[in-house]
Amino acid sequence: MASMTGTGGTGTRRAVLTWRGGLAELAILLALIVIFSILNPASFPTLTNLHTILNNAAIPIVVGVGASAVVLTGRIDLSVEGVMGAAGMTFVLLSANSRETVDIGWLAWPAALALGAGLGALTGAIHALAKVPSFIVSLGMWYVGLGIAALLFGYEMIPFLSSEAIVAWPTQSPLGLPNSFLLALVVVALGWFLEANTRLGRSAYAIGNNETVARMTGIPVTRFVIILFAFAGACSALAGIMGSLALGAGAANVGVGMLFLTLAAIVIGGTPLGGGRGGALRTVMGVLILSTLYNGLILAGVDPQVQSGVSGVVLVVAVIAAGWSQRAKLRVAK
Amino acid sequence: MMQSQIPRAVALSPAVLALEGVSKAFGPVVAVKPLSLTIPRHQVVGLIGENGAGKSTLLKMLTGVHLVDQGKMMLNGREVRFRGPLDATAQGVGIVHQEQSLFTNLSVAENIVMGAGRSGSQAVKGGLYRWSTVRAEAAEVLARIGSRISPDTLVGDLSFAERQMVEIARTIHLACQTAAAQGGAPLVILDEPTSVLEQAETEVLEAEIARLRAIGSVIFVSHRLEEVLRICDRTVVMRDGEIVADRLTSEVTEADLYRLMIGKDRHARSREAVPLAQGAPVLRTRALGKTAAFRDIDIALYPRRITAIVGTFGAGREALIRTLFGIDDPDSGTIELDGTPVTDWTPRRAIAAGLAYLPAERGVESSVGGLSAARNLTTVPFGDMAGWLLSPARRKALAAAWFDKLDIRPRLPGQPLERFSGGNQQKVMLAKWLTLGPRVLLLDHPLRGLDPGAGANVNACIRAACAEGAAVLLLADTLEEALDLGHEIIVMRDGAISARFDMAEDDPTTLDLLEKMV
Repeated sequence: MASMTGTGGTGTRRAVLTWRGGLAELAILLALIVIFSILNPASFPTLTNLHTILNNAAIPIVVGVGASAVVLTGRIDLSVEGVMGAAGMTFVLLSANSRETVDIGWLAWPAALALGAGLGALTGAIHALAKVPSFIVSLGMWYVGLGIAALLFGYEMIPFLSSEAIVAWPTQSPLGLPNSFLLALVVVALGWFLEANTRLGRSAYAIGNNETVARMTGIPVTRFVIILFAFAGACSALAGIMGSLALGAGAANVGVGMLFLTLAAIVIGGTPLGGGRGGALRTVMGVLILSTLYNGLILAGVDPQVQSGVSGVVLVVAVIAAGWSQRAKLRVAK
Repeated sequence: MMQSQIPRAVALSPAVLALEGVSKAFGPVVAVKPLSLTIPRHQVVGLIGENGAGKSTLLKMLTGVHLVDQGKMMLNGREVRFRGPLDATAQGVGIVHQEQSLFTNLSVAENIVMGAGRSGSQAVKGGLYRWSTVRAEAAEVLARIGSRISPDTLVGDLSFAERQMVEIARTIHLACQTAAAQGGAPLVILDEPTSVLEQAETEVLEAEIARLRAIGSVIFVSHRLEEVLRICDRTVVMRDGEIVADRLTSEVTEADLYRLMIGKDRHARSREAVPLAQGAPVLRTRALGKTAAFRDIDIALYPRRITAIVGTFGAGREALIRTLFGIDDPDSGTIELDGTPVTDWTPRRAIAAGLAYLPAERGVESSVGGLSAARNLTTVPFGDMAGWLLSPARRKALAAAWFDKLDIRPRLPGQPLERFSGGNQQKVMLAKWLTLGPRVLLLDHPLRGLDPGAGANVNACIRAACAEGAAVLLLADTLEEALDLGHEIIVMRDGAISARFDMAEDDPTTLDLLEKMV
């Protein structure tokens, strides 16, 4: 609850919402809901549409929880789409599918998650041990992931998932909300707990604030960074599985568009790319804002081509607004 | 002779720290000559010396930042060899730095517990935080040093002095814990801790130092000699990388310490004719002020005159020169150029108006790594290099001319800048600005990190630039540098001007300057 503030405070005692500490994002989300409800009183404020928005938000939320844990340390993981593709294809080919590869049942889940975590750990290790920017390592890993996915896809026919039940599961809502969204909430809870109550998570804030001091303080920076990248990889893998379930088939490009969406959500939610502040809960707000915006624009009849332009503008405006107070003459922004 | 002045009774208990012939050099520059020092238990030792005397290097060896070149370091009777800062911490050496090392985005409690390391705290077991224990531990530590800061406050919301108290609390906590775990006594180093503290906070700190004396030893570094005399049992004076005096505090006076710090008290080396302040000043300030940096600064810079500013760390000199160049904005007062107040002052405007600034951090703010000296020399996009294009031939000619003029060696303008020696790098940086024919030269510690020969070379270039008509403002590293170069010397203390000497009339000694600084 508390760290809606997400300022990296002391977890449970910082329950007050401040304008900078999350209230602004909440206000934007409410404003969007009000505006779109007025524009589309018939189709926007309905339970069905709420389910649609939440179901659409599920995958970017899962990716975003992992990605924002990495961003907290001041690093970035651009490999999400590649990891999603590789893990998604792995999952499909290890489950009952039309190509009849191998069916290892539920073990396909941990197998795909392990692949994602492995790719993430590899990114983190190369970055941290060879001391090269995470930006460029994860950019490369993006295409490594896509390559693995393409290799698994091969030249045969598309592997469709055979089990109707498992394909239908994400969109069902026996508990009132779509299962996919509930799964995402579990991941969010995990991410929040990690950030608020573990040495790993608290150290991520410390590293993002001042890495030199973190090393001097005895925080195992290298090890923690690798673990956080592995966590991000596992989150992307889970998102890849969810994406494959939604498609009902395996596809290398299951994650397409997800990088922009999650990075934008992280920044809009209030986690600066420099790290040290923010976290999983803030990113959930960012995703909800963007999902609501997309959904509302579609219902308002805005051309899908225009939407991508709009989301770009929203991102740029959000970044300017977030950084406005910290402008200084010699402040270097790259 | 020095050792014999320590009472024998104290020397009997095992020494917390014993150095034998410890030394450190950086390339050809010897920062600390082989020195020996013994600090017994229950002693507070003051360490004083001018900038560049070797204090910082010594402290960095004690805290594992620098590897010891030669010599033996013993802690509580065991020989130690630190490979990094964590090694030192693990052995019970704690330091409170001038620059703060806290996480501003975390609470006071978290900062204290994180600093305690994995073994030092009960609050983080199995990687999980027990927030109530985190708070309780931090509250206990804070209470011990008599602080009323709430453990829940974000460090970023604290004042500078409050942060200092948190840092002290954390260091003391850690040093006591690790030392206790190993059966020795802790060594706590306080590096200028009082420079930002209020009177009441300083008293709290003194009480804490008294308590520390009961369990271990303290090295107290300060520029405020009256504090050293009041707090310390013994005072060690460093000069030119050596310990020049080691006295019981009860046996020395403030004046003695001044004299020991600067060595031979001296006047300016040569008294040439000092150019008079003629005509209108190029640049002047009126009641210029910046919160927490400097206040009421009135200075006037005239052509062909060198104005040197001296002051201790924290006197506000650096902030002042950065404000003059438009990097930082002042909070009050005006900067006037040729009698007209400037507005929207930025480095770009300042350069266009004829100002040039040579930063102290040569490697960071001044030179462009990986580029040749010639390219570095021609990176300022004004004056001779104005416009979009600079032909290679023109650059070559320009670089060759300046290499000759400032006698930059070797005469290889095409060689990458970092392959030149420090003094020659600094000359290239100076030449870069001189290509513009600046009206005002702002020099921020131009001799820092240079050996005396190279320094003399750079000094000659500064004098030549001045003779050609530039008004020079110099932040000097040493008092000798200020005395030898300055036509006017301004002394700053705690952000304000405490004295002015016009070298045409006054003939101050280094001691005169120092007295106004501290």
